[in-house]
Amino acid sequence: MFDRRLLKNFDYQLLLIMLALCLYGLLVISSATQGLSAADPSAYVRRQAIWMAMGVGGMLLAIGVDYVNYYRWAWYLYFANLLFLSLVLFIGREGGGAYRWLDLGVFDFQPSELAKLIIIITLARVLVDYQDNMNNVVNLLPLLAHVFAPMLLIFLQPDLGTGLVLIVIFFGLLYMGGVPIKYLGLIVGAGLAVFPLLWAQLLSYQKMRLIVFMNPELDPLGYGYQLMQSMIAIGSGGVSGKGLFEGTQARLQFLPEQHTDFIFSVLGEELGLLGGAILLTLYFLLIYRILKIGAFSKDSFGALLCTGVATMITFQVLVNVGMSLGIMPVTGLPLPFMSYGGNSMLLNIISIGVVLNVGMRRHKIQF
Amino acid sequence: MDKKMLRRTRVFFSLVILLFVLLAARLAYLQVIQYEYYWNRAEKNRFRIMPVTAPRGEIFGREGEQLVTNRPGFTVSLVDLGSGYSDETIARLGELLEMSEEEIRERIRSQYYSRYMPIRLKTDVPEETVAIISEKRLELPGVLIEVQPIRNYVLDSFAPHILGYLGSGTAPDWVVERWAEEGYEDYRPGEMVGQSGLERVWEPYLRGQDGGVQVEVNSTGQSIREFERVEPVPGHDIFLTLDIPLQKKMEKTLEETVEYLSTEEGNARAGEAAAVALDPNTGRILAMASIPSYNPNTFRDDIAELQQDNRQPLVNKTIQDHYPVGSVFKMATAIAALQEGEVARSERVTCRGSLTRFNATKSCFRGTVHGPVNIVDAIQRSCNVFFYEMGLRVGIDKLSHYSYEFGFGSPTGLQDVHGERSGIVASREYKDRIYQEQWYPAETMDAAIGQSFQSITPLQLANYTSMLANGGIHYRPYLVEKVINSEGQTVMLAEPEILNEMDVQEAHWNAVQEGMAKAVLPGGTAARLADITVPIAGKTGTAQVTTLDRDIPSHSLFVSYAPVNEPEIALAVFVKHGGTGGVTAAPVAQTILDYYFGAEEEEIEDIDALLEQTEDEEAT
Repeated sequence: MFDRRLLKNFDYQLLLIMLALCLYGLLVISSATQGLSAADPSAYVRRQAIWMAMGVGGMLLAIGVDYVNYYRWAWYLYFANLLFLSLVLFIGREGGGAYRWLDLGVFDFQPSELAKLIIIITLARVLVDYQDNMNNVVNLLPLLAHVFAPMLLIFLQPDLGTGLVLIVIFFGLLYMGGVPIKYLGLIVGAGLAVFPLLWAQLLSYQKMRLIVFMNPELDPLGYGYQLMQSMIAIGSGGVSGKGLFEGTQARLQFLPEQHTDFIFSVLGEELGLLGGAILLTLYFLLIYRILKIGAFSKDSFGALLCTGVATMITFQVLVNVGMSLGIMPVTGLPLPFMSYGGNSMLLNIISIGVVLNVGMRRHKIQF
Repeated sequence: MDKKMLRRTRVFFSLVILLFVLLAARLAYLQVIQYEYYWNRAEKNRFRIMPVTAPRGEIFGREGEQLVTNRPGFTVSLVDLGSGYSDETIARLGELLEMSEEEIRERIRSQYYSRYMPIRLKTDVPEETVAIISEKRLELPGVLIEVQPIRNYVLDSFAPHILGYLGSGTAPDWVVERWAEEGYEDYRPGEMVGQSGLERVWEPYLRGQDGGVQVEVNSTGQSIREFERVEPVPGHDIFLTLDIPLQKKMEKTLEETVEYLSTEEGNARAGEAAAVALDPNTGRILAMASIPSYNPNTFRDDIAELQQDNRQPLVNKTIQDHYPVGSVFKMATAIAALQEGEVARSERVTCRGSLTRFNATKSCFRGTVHGPVNIVDAIQRSCNVFFYEMGLRVGIDKLSHYSYEFGFGSPTGLQDVHGERSGIVASREYKDRIYQEQWYPAETMDAAIGQSFQSITPLQLANYTSMLANGGIHYRPYLVEKVINSEGQTVMLAEPEILNEMDVQEAHWNAVQEGMAKAVLPGGTAARLADITVPIAGKTGTAQVTTLDRDIPSHSLFVSYAPVNEPEIALAVFVKHGGTGGVTAAPVAQTILDYYFGAEEEEIEDIDALLEQTEDEEAT
């Protein structure tokens, strides 16, 4: 079933860049979690490594089938997605005021992570289906309807961060899918028009995060404190950093959520500008290769899959790193491949698998 | 891929490049341009200077008896973790420390300019409270418990007017400024500082120098490890001139006396008394008591009650108040008359019970007729008529001159405690200044027997007695014998200092001393002291209180020194509204002098028992 010739077009560079990011993440997590678990200092690193291995396993599965099958299965995936997202609202485990996790016994499953990849696949199909009728504004409606249901379920959790990622993926795919700019503008305009309505629906802590982002001094105890401490950590790292395991902000727990949301602050403090530049370069190369695979894909479905994954990763890097640097609000989005957290790790690796899949099957006929 | 898609991929990729440049630029800005700022912020986060309070110097009696010491106590402080203070913490702390939230906020505000220093909320917190706070440590971020020395007045209400007390409260800015003006630098609000007595005047010596520890703290303010440590320098120890058993006896006798007057004799006005014992050869204060007393250990709880007491327990009556003195003034008139040549020792003046001059008839006490008396007899029997005559011969100007010479009308020079007052000398200037009236010659008669405007502090009276005993030498009275630093070196050693030496012939002193010696023998006004252990010299005083209400009891005074030939103690006793000098003040003096020369063992045991008692209280 598996054709060896497919390996000819396999993008090893993309795989290596991704693996480098994962290992880099393990290194910083090992520093960020020292002292978190006195009994077993390496527990976090080990667990993250297991997730990484599972991710690679999932990636092989994703590569194994021709991505054309994703197109076929799109509607099953779409409704499975809605099922998971609905389940989490009823039998989900609560954490920090939101229902985001399904307890599967062995691990907690976070449907909103999976939702990102599924939306990319299903929306790509809908776009391909409507590809020739893009100039008809009425055709925007099924597109909007398509993302409305999962997005609503995610906002109900509530998970503002993932909701934002979905919105950005939506625009990214619509843009690449060839929707005229004026229609995109129309959607943005409509969105802005209903914004006050949405704002009223936001929970107070979500509003607080946005308000405090505008003026951190307003809230020196809460989110403003987190932003400030993150900037102190990064700024005090300087060019060469304080050295791995030597960050005082991290070691003395001034940084909030330092192994998850604020992992970049630990990296900035301990590895400095050099470490930060290496990370940004890796991300840049990763996104570059994803877009390149998309550009050389054999069909627009493959191209859209790549665009979706690139949009997702770019946006999460921008928001997470931007937050640590104090130029983005605190949204609680993990840094892809770096932040501690199994679901995110697993899904990001599988997403790369999807891209690799598109890349290795770029020629219709292999000789 | 169609052209449109390719074009849009390029646009998308350009956007990615732009975003990454933005992130990289921001990263470089924070880590290169702002590096120093954030590096300092990080250091400020992790390091904190914890002051270590220097133990305050201790105060000892002249035989090394411990009077004021320090004992360890718990202090609860609040420290800013860089993010202000949570309402919850303040509310919980207020509950635990029995402080209002407003009080705590006031403390925080008062230390606004040194926010990174711990703010002391309450000292001497009970152990049970400390245990609760330690348990709830995680719910009370930024709350620190330190062990700090607490001032301990070993004998409780012993000599509080001399020892003084400490105070802090929330120190308003003006108080801190006042301390700065007085040379007490860098005081922190809430810090304990001497407010009265030796604690106040000797503050710079007693205080010592606080040390500090630089500690690394985590985000909840818990100390992770210690970096540098500067040890505190303990304050200097002070050794007093006070004879502790004597002081104890003096206080006890005065207390018992006023107690007797008010309960047994139903004297509603009695309740205040003072006495001072000086060494006439040096000016050392051997004992100095002011009644009623108070306990500096519980002072802060008692303050409201003490301030409402109309007997004014907080006033040091030996120096901070002055009173009419009556006949004890007569020796001053006698010295003036003798030295000015207005009377010879042998000259007799006949007392017919009263004297009429300038249309004023002034009588002897209770109309007693003394017959012909010389100056020695006149002192012995306290003949008013003789001294009326002397006063008229000397004149008010000379009389007030000699009053000043004896140290009246200005502070005696005691510097070790604060607030000594001048009192009043009867003089033309005084009457002119206060009443804008001229001096009538008849008033000189009153002045000569101490019943005029004179108003004198008990310490001035003791100093006067000392000058009568030592032949006119005014030594500066002092309480602090020596000061020793924490390394055992002597920082200051007191030396007797002569402030004034009167130019009066030896023979005149002898005449007055003879009169005083005879006053305590049969035939004298204080004959009941005749059976005292050592020969003493003394003089009674009964100062009439001149008001419309004639039933107000007079002030009772007695001045004395002993032994007659080689005086080693000069004693002035004042009992406010105590009645006649011979009946109330003289027996008090007798008890004190008997004790001083007999030094009964039981009294010393008494103090030991008291010491044991306070130790027991501390143990429980």
